Amino acid sequence: MADYTKPLPRIDDNTDADSRAFWDAAGEHRLVMQRCTQCGHIRWPIGPVCTQCLTEEFEWQTLSGRGELHSWVNFHQPFHPEWAKEAPYNVALVKLEEGPIFLSNMVECEDSELAVGAAVEVAWEDATEQISIPKFRLLQD
Amino acid sequence: MAKTLKDKVVIAGIGKTPQGAIEGSTALGLGIEAFKNAVADAGINKNEVDGILTHPGTTSPEGATHYLRFAQAVGINPRYSHSLVMGGGSGGALVQSAVMAITHGLADYVACIFGDSARTGGTRFGGAMAGGNELSQGIWGMFGPHANSAMGARRHMALYGTTSEQLGHLAMNIRNNANLNPDAVMYDRKITVQDHQDSRYIVDPLHLLDCCLISDGGVCMILTSADRAKDLKQKPVYLSGIGQAYQAVSFENDEWWYLTHQRTALADAFAMAEATTDDIDVAQLYDNFTISVLFWLEHAGFVGRGEAGPFVGEDRTALGAELPVNTAGGNLSESYMEGWLHIYEGAVQMRGDGGPRQVDGAKLCLTTGRGLNLNTSNAIIMRNDD
Repeated sequence: MADYTKPLPRIDDNTDADSRAFWDAAGEHRLVMQRCTQCGHIRWPIGPVCTQCLTEEFEWQTLSGRGELHSWVNFHQPFHPEWAKEAPYNVALVKLEEGPIFLSNMVECEDSELAVGAAVEVAWEDATEQISIPKFRLLQD
Repeated sequence: MAKTLKDKVVIAGIGKTPQGAIEGSTALGLGIEAFKNAVADAGINKNEVDGILTHPGTTSPEGATHYLRFAQAVGINPRYSHSLVMGGGSGGALVQSAVMAITHGLADYVACIFGDSARTGGTRFGGAMAGGNELSQGIWGMFGPHANSAMGARRHMALYGTTSEQLGHLAMNIRNNANLNPDAVMYDRKITVQDHQDSRYIVDPLHLLDCCLISDGGVCMILTSADRAKDLKQKPVYLSGIGQAYQAVSFENDEWWYLTHQRTALADAFAMAEATTDDIDVAQLYDNFTISVLFWLEHAGFVGRGEAGPFVGEDRTALGAELPVNTAGGNLSESYMEGWLHIYEGAVQMRGDGGPRQVDGAKLCLTTGRGLNLNTSNAIIMRNDD
């Protein structure tokens, strides 16, 4: 785990301070988003007010971790030296059951198995002792 | 109410620089060269220009204060001036600002200017996507401008059966147009659909030949009122319809990939011009990637939703076919001037100056732009007096 060299969230230097709660929950393998306490809307990305009713108050809601594959691509071009070592690699968009679209990677599958609309569920990658990154796998029926 | 802008303003002068890799060039210098050429083309004195609107290049150090640097460099204290950063939507948005300013008397001659040395100046378009409180997408390996369009292409393919070969036909036809334009970076370098298919993947499903160039160059358009244009050197190109719209919400928007804001921009432009797709003789559609042209075709209504794949695949956007698209070669094959050359070429076509690539008898041209992370969009319908 100590040799994880790809980009990590920068919660320690405050660059991503707003996302600390997200990553704290991820460390417990819980996918959370902000739920407005006024209207119940779940917003993404992390924001200061509800995108529907502009209310500031919210609670972090643990999501089901399920959704469907909205789209995906395969990176061949080396944009980043560490990611390039794994190229071609996939980047996927998952339409979560609760509404938002979440950017991630599909794991534990071949690209040939991927299809728009496929049912998926979160799969956690423990990148470091502190950081677990939400990825997704195909939901087996 | 918006109809008050119809045909009130014209493109009176156009200017550009050589395009491609121009060693030693600077964004400012290229913009100035294009400006000089546009002033000469319009047949006016540069001191008559009282509006300076600029799009800072990716290599412009001034950022949003670029308009001041530019105006200082060309010795003009403008009545109306600003810079604007909307990526490939900047040129169209600035032209639209000029239309409004001139119509309402805030300026008489407005120069819209872009210059960039992105090719030799070391611009990297491959940074990780992030903004505001968004989690850094580099965590998941999401880099550069290709991937969002590739996501849209994948979905269009999955939902509607669009194929990479169809995109290859589009790339080939746009390249064919560039081969009728000696100023195009890809002049004398024809491609086939097979070349497209054989080109390496950048971000699958997009191949190298689905992607635009990266270029040095400058472009300038000078606009004035239709009344003033009657006494000027060039055949006036009337701006008949304009529209713009933006998409800021993506992760809470299932249709983000389909770029529905473009439909709004197009609908406004068509309504103002009192035109329909049947009236459009030629189109310059923003092509950062091939797939983008398909979205424009569907949102404008040339075809229905999901139907643009066969349309481009059957070469119906080729010169001589029913809707010639990107007659000078576009971002893909002429030069990547972030859409500015699309407006320039629209004016060329409306003047009838396209030479071997001229669409005979063209009276109405649709021009579109879009930029940043697919966020900005606009449409312009221009016409001539023919």
